[in-house]
Amino acid sequence: MSALHRDERDPLVLDEYTPGAAAVLSDAERWPTMDDDGAARLARWRRHPSAPAWTHATGDRLTAEMRERVRRPLPTEGWLDEHLATARRLPYYRGMPGLDALEDFPPIGRPHLVADLASFVPLDADLDRMVHGTSSGSTGAALLIPDDVEEVARGFHDLVAQVHDAGVGWAPDGERLALAHLVHQRDAFTYVSLVSGFGQRAMARVNLHERAWADAGARARFLADSDPQVLTGNPTSLAELLADDLRAVVRPLALFSSAMALSAPLRAELETAFACPVFDVYSLHETRPIAVRTDDGPFRIRDRRVLVETLDAHGRPVPDGEVGELVVTAGENPLLPLVRYRTGDFGRLVRLADGSRGIADLEGREHTRFAAADGRLVPCVDLTQQLQAHGVRGWSIEQAADGRVSARIAGGDADAVARALDALLGRPLTLERVERPADLGEGKPRRYRSALG
Amino acid sequence: MADIDDLLVAWAERAPAEDQAWRSARPGPPLAAVASRLSSVPRPFLDERVSLPALAGDVLGESLRCLSVAQNARVRLGASVALWLIASEDVVEPFTPALAGGDRAMAVDALALRLAPIVDPLDWIGDDERREEAARTFLLWCGFLPAGESVETARSLLDARDSLRRNAALAEAYAEHRHRSEIARRLSEARAREAAARYTSE
Repeated sequence: MSALHRDERDPLVLDEYTPGAAAVLSDAERWPTMDDDGAARLARWRRHPSAPAWTHATGDRLTAEMRERVRRPLPTEGWLDEHLATARRLPYYRGMPGLDALEDFPPIGRPHLVADLASFVPLDADLDRMVHGTSSGSTGAALLIPDDVEEVARGFHDLVAQVHDAGVGWAPDGERLALAHLVHQRDAFTYVSLVSGFGQRAMARVNLHERAWADAGARARFLADSDPQVLTGNPTSLAELLADDLRAVVRPLALFSSAMALSAPLRAELETAFACPVFDVYSLHETRPIAVRTDDGPFRIRDRRVLVETLDAHGRPVPDGEVGELVVTAGENPLLPLVRYRTGDFGRLVRLADGSRGIADLEGREHTRFAAADGRLVPCVDLTQQLQAHGVRGWSIEQAADGRVSARIAGGDADAVARALDALLGRPLTLERVERPADLGEGKPRRYRSALG
Repeated sequence: MADIDDLLVAWAERAPAEDQAWRSARPGPPLAAVASRLSSVPRPFLDERVSLPALAGDVLGESLRCLSVAQNARVRLGASVALWLIASEDVVEPFTPALAGGDRAMAVDALALRLAPIVDPLDWIGDDERREEAARTFLLWCGFLPAGESVETARSLLDARDSLRRNAALAEAYAEHRHRSEIARRLSEARAREAAARYTSE
């Protein structure tokens, strides 16, 4: 069944992925500086004979002035003082006395943003630059993040700078896609866009899942023809590049993995297969990139508007070198200046050889796959989408070695979840529903575990 | 205070941005004509036993946001007085231009939810300054400038009398309510929902 022709009885249908449903702007609004060459690139990749059925259309929305502004990182000198001053004026902190230094601020977490997002958005923020970002998050409840279009666009130039720093040149190269952002999931927003500040070269968000393509050879033909310079994704989608049909057709300058933990074996395979740097980025949508590594050692905390502390369960600082929850102060997104945001991830703060700060033994991000009855490996993000679509606020799903699945869900429609898990996995299922995420157990519940993935 | 806060939240969710209200306002009836009607509210409109939903239905023929909080006596009285301004076009004579060309329900909600929680509607009748505030508030949210006034003049004259603006604590709380509803409104707009092209997974 293709993404375009859904059966009404399909228990896995997610309305928000109805093709084109969320695309409303004109191309001139999506890329205000688009020239004839840019328009031709858009048309070419949108209508390429092997292109997937694009489900969305979106751009970077940069005017000429914005395009120049986003080429450079925000200055970091003195940023923290300015950031804390902004935070004190946020509705959430008003009326809280004694917030003099960073450590005076009470840590906040995802539930604070879910409960009252607007109280963390500055009253004088430029809401004209605000667009939707969403985040599936670690505890399940979907959270709407206000993205700033300049900050999102600056992220591209940040990738370019990192690739340059690794000693690899990355400049517009003929008609190659500047970048392909890869996902591998049942349903996804996919689109072609232009990078206004990178010679108006095209980029695409591409779903490698078989459902997205007209025939089995289409994805390889599309990637061979578009020849993306840099590939980004999560470990699930990047692992798909090692498949027989793709391994020989892509020739990336660099790979960026984020959103989930990249295992050492997978990193090694990717490096061997593509002979390029593999950046493993620790990033939350709420905070933006926090730390990055290109080997299996500690993550290096970015030299951007980001500061990492480790705290214990009571919010007290943990000495450097000991394991604590990573708590991040993040100042790159002007629409969501966060102070001491609890990530739910754990690690040790360490001093790297060159004196900079790093995170060792980072734990928390997940890359779990479930084995369906027919032998397919189903990435956990597919389960996340279904669980969230049916209103589940937190969960713990385990697959035993004999294939049986036991699911504990907090809130949501248990019958619908049972149908969705049966459709995805076709395995014997035990389902228990509790009321609150806290009923799933102490601490941060492990969302997924599979003896077969 | 908690009660006032709830009413201001209801107004913040109901009303468009004030900048927008001023931008779209067009020449309306003379301020004195509206103020004069306010000073002569007939006794039945001040009677606590009157059913506000029934009165709104009779006078306006449409629903009001303030009906959901009409258990509050000030809201009820404020809405009732505002409905008199509309009913008076039949009972006395139409304003020039007539109110029907504006958003009469929004004007009633403005008096009931934005002004009445802070200024007792009985003061609109008895106190010149408060009566002018009520008349200006009513005209603005109905979509009108007082006859003969420019946007700048009308705005500065209402700002100077705006009881909500002059109460620092309430003004700050109200600004936060407006902020919340503005963000919710912007995020619900399709152009925000289209999002922006993203380069990495998060």
